[in-house]
Amino acid sequence: MRRTFLKSATAAVVAITTLGFGTTVAAQDAAEFYKDNVIKWIVPYDPGGGYDEYSRIIIPYFENYTGARVDIVNLPGSGGMKGAVEIFNSPADGLTVGIINGSAMVTNQLAEIEGATYKVGDYNYLGRIVADKRVMVSSAASGITSFEDLMSNGKQEIVGATGLGGSTYVDAVITGEVLQIDQRVVHGFDRSGDIRTAMLRGDVQTMWGSLGSALSGVEDGDLNIILHGEKVPTGMLEGIPSIYDIAMAMDDGEKRVRILESWEALSAVGRPVAAPPGVPEDRLAFLREAFAQAMNDPEFIAGSIESDRELSFATGEEMSRIAKSATELEPDVTELFVKAIRGEI
Amino acid sequence: MTILEGMTSGFFQSTSLAVFPYLFVGSIFGLIIGVIPGLSGHFAMAMAVTFLYTMEPAAGIAFILAAHATVAQGGGLTAILFSTPGTGQNAATLLDGPPMRDKGEAGIAVGAAMASCFLGATFGAIVLALLIPVLREVVLFFGPPEVFVLAFLALTFVAVLGKEDMTRSLIAALLGMLLAMVGVDNVTNTFRFTMGSDRLSDGLQLVPVILGLFAVAEMIDLWVRGGTLAKDVPTALSAKETQKQIFKGIGLAFKNWWLVMRCSAIGTGMGLIPGLGSAPAAFVAYGHAKQSSPDRESFGKGNVKGVIGPEAANDAVEGGALASTLAFGIPGSSSMAILLSGLFILGLETGPRMLNQNIDIVFVMIFTIIFGNLIGTIIGMFLVNPLSRATSIRASVMVPVLMSVIATGAFAGERAIFDIGVAIVFGILGYAMKVLNYSRAALLIGFVLGFAVEKNLYLALLLDGPLFVMQPIPLGLMIVTIVFLGWNIFTIYRDRKKVIPK
Repeated sequence: MRRTFLKSATAAVVAITTLGFGTTVAAQDAAEFYKDNVIKWIVPYDPGGGYDEYSRIIIPYFENYTGARVDIVNLPGSGGMKGAVEIFNSPADGLTVGIINGSAMVTNQLAEIEGATYKVGDYNYLGRIVADKRVMVSSAASGITSFEDLMSNGKQEIVGATGLGGSTYVDAVITGEVLQIDQRVVHGFDRSGDIRTAMLRGDVQTMWGSLGSALSGVEDGDLNIILHGEKVPTGMLEGIPSIYDIAMAMDDGEKRVRILESWEALSAVGRPVAAPPGVPEDRLAFLREAFAQAMNDPEFIAGSIESDRELSFATGEEMSRIAKSATELEPDVTELFVKAIRGEI
Repeated sequence: MTILEGMTSGFFQSTSLAVFPYLFVGSIFGLIIGVIPGLSGHFAMAMAVTFLYTMEPAAGIAFILAAHATVAQGGGLTAILFSTPGTGQNAATLLDGPPMRDKGEAGIAVGAAMASCFLGATFGAIVLALLIPVLREVVLFFGPPEVFVLAFLALTFVAVLGKEDMTRSLIAALLGMLLAMVGVDNVTNTFRFTMGSDRLSDGLQLVPVILGLFAVAEMIDLWVRGGTLAKDVPTALSAKETQKQIFKGIGLAFKNWWLVMRCSAIGTGMGLIPGLGSAPAAFVAYGHAKQSSPDRESFGKGNVKGVIGPEAANDAVEGGALASTLAFGIPGSSSMAILLSGLFILGLETGPRMLNQNIDIVFVMIFTIIFGNLIGTIIGMFLVNPLSRATSIRASVMVPVLMSVIATGAFAGERAIFDIGVAIVFGILGYAMKVLNYSRAALLIGFVLGFAVEKNLYLALLLDGPLFVMQPIPLGLMIVTIVFLGWNIFTIYRDRKKVIPK
């Protein structure tokens, strides 16, 4: 109640202010507003996770270009949903932003999971830091070194996954359905690390995950990447079959590819930085500009390359389109996804 | 780099001027976090990790790990002096620590606890060092069937924990397991016992539950009873007397070296097992200390062995818990997940590459655990005096102060007002259990192990089918469990018969 009141009060004040001045003045106003002000940056996970790390490395640059001080607040809970909801409901004064687990928030919204009270399409996005490249890995112990092995060895493989609706689970179920892989998905592992241990023990043969989290296992010789979700593979994914090529070569290839494209739209949401709906336009424009400058700062990029951190920047406007298209899937595809998320496949 | 070279290099690095100051600061930081009820090792690490961005690898790793390693030590101090577990793993210390304080032996208890922590940590660190060549095999030994049976075995230790009777302990343990089910089930996405509350969908958090059961309940008790925390001690111990007691306590820990070794082995072993955590390790160690002692009746009434056992196990866990993180770069707990990202921030590889190329860093970790706990022990001894004076402050002053600290601790972990409410509700439950003579320790064990039991049972059933207990290792462990439980039931009936004719 109070929050709504504050929101409308702020909006009213802002409306009056904007009415009085031209746009240039507004931009200057925004710069002045942020100078020495404090921005709250919500991380929906514990310190130390990937989201936290990305936040902490970009923030000094973001502070530079906004002139504001940025304070990180870690708000873990409900698989990142608690923080996402908090951002969505925070005052729309442009002083609260946060990083969200975009793909997971889309799936939760699609499946109407309890507590998913945000709308992914309605956030004001500052931009995207990175989108995970999804890969399927097999354990070295399984003897499966390629996707062809997996399909031709005549055995039913066990795929490990975390909770129902988690990305490791949705990826496994959707791709298994599209490519008609003879597999059994065992979910219930606490975290992807636990699945890796199970792979090393031989309890589980394959799993889906992000390229970033698979890298160390690949370099150690514990894991093989056997499939990926990129249309145009780059770097170490070159030479590994793309899920699109395999789907296209099957009967009804186009229909399969259409499902995969929706699946890709989910991962494309990636890890965006978002502000709540209703932030005054001049402030939003200012924040977007500052975020773009921070993401394109040569020093920041050099640091990320050096520490093997992937980046795939998308502007705030692009990000809004990506988020909308990920939540507006065709009905039959949506149905398939919701089934997958709820564990009904 | 050979292991021996790595060890030498690790030793000189951790004692060098570039690293040791960080180790020192880290261990004091951890000790303070530990003393404050509700702030855990996880919290200490989460705070410490944010400082790593500008640090050198060895200094950073010494800082963050020292902060984690000394938390249990600080928590033991609070447990003994204020009947409030500083962290979850000190809950077992409450069984005999506060009774010793009430007898006027606070110094002895703290001295013994501090020394046992140090010895336990050293034991765990040495075992970790010895395991390096076979680390991967050891970690992979535990799959869902093994963990399920081991968690079950640990659960049976509730039978010997308290002075309460076994039926009531079982009721409490099962209630604890039931409480562990609250929240969204990871496997089926079913909402269980959430009563429509968003907050409950993440389940009950361990920290507020422990604070409620033990700390808040103790405050209610103190408020109702009046007087001072230290029951039968009219005046605070003099500084000189406390010093004398501390040294006596340290002496007792060394005198019971064989018990320290066994309990440390329990701690290290349970630290190796993914998902069990350190609170059960301390309870199992307590159960073992009681079980193997000739004077079982004096446990719960202030037996120093009841402090030595759990405190040794507490800190020995650290060495074991590091194993899977180091061997594969796969964290076994949330604290280890933070450590892992800390290593990543510092630019260090984990897993086999660390064991091959950065073995010196592994030894920096090992020496950090040992030195950190040594520093913790020494500083902790200086803390005893001022803190123990507080135990003779009257209840009307003490309760409000401690309650606000407890509320802050409950709030801090998740920044949730809701958790303060959880602590209060569990405080009332804990007080009722104390009055009605139900074991709170048993409830806690059930609560902590409930997660591990359920998750691993589910995975074991899916992966290996209903006959998973027939595999050699789980079967062996199952037999041990049954024999252990059978023996306990037998001794209880035997003792009862002995008592009744008189």
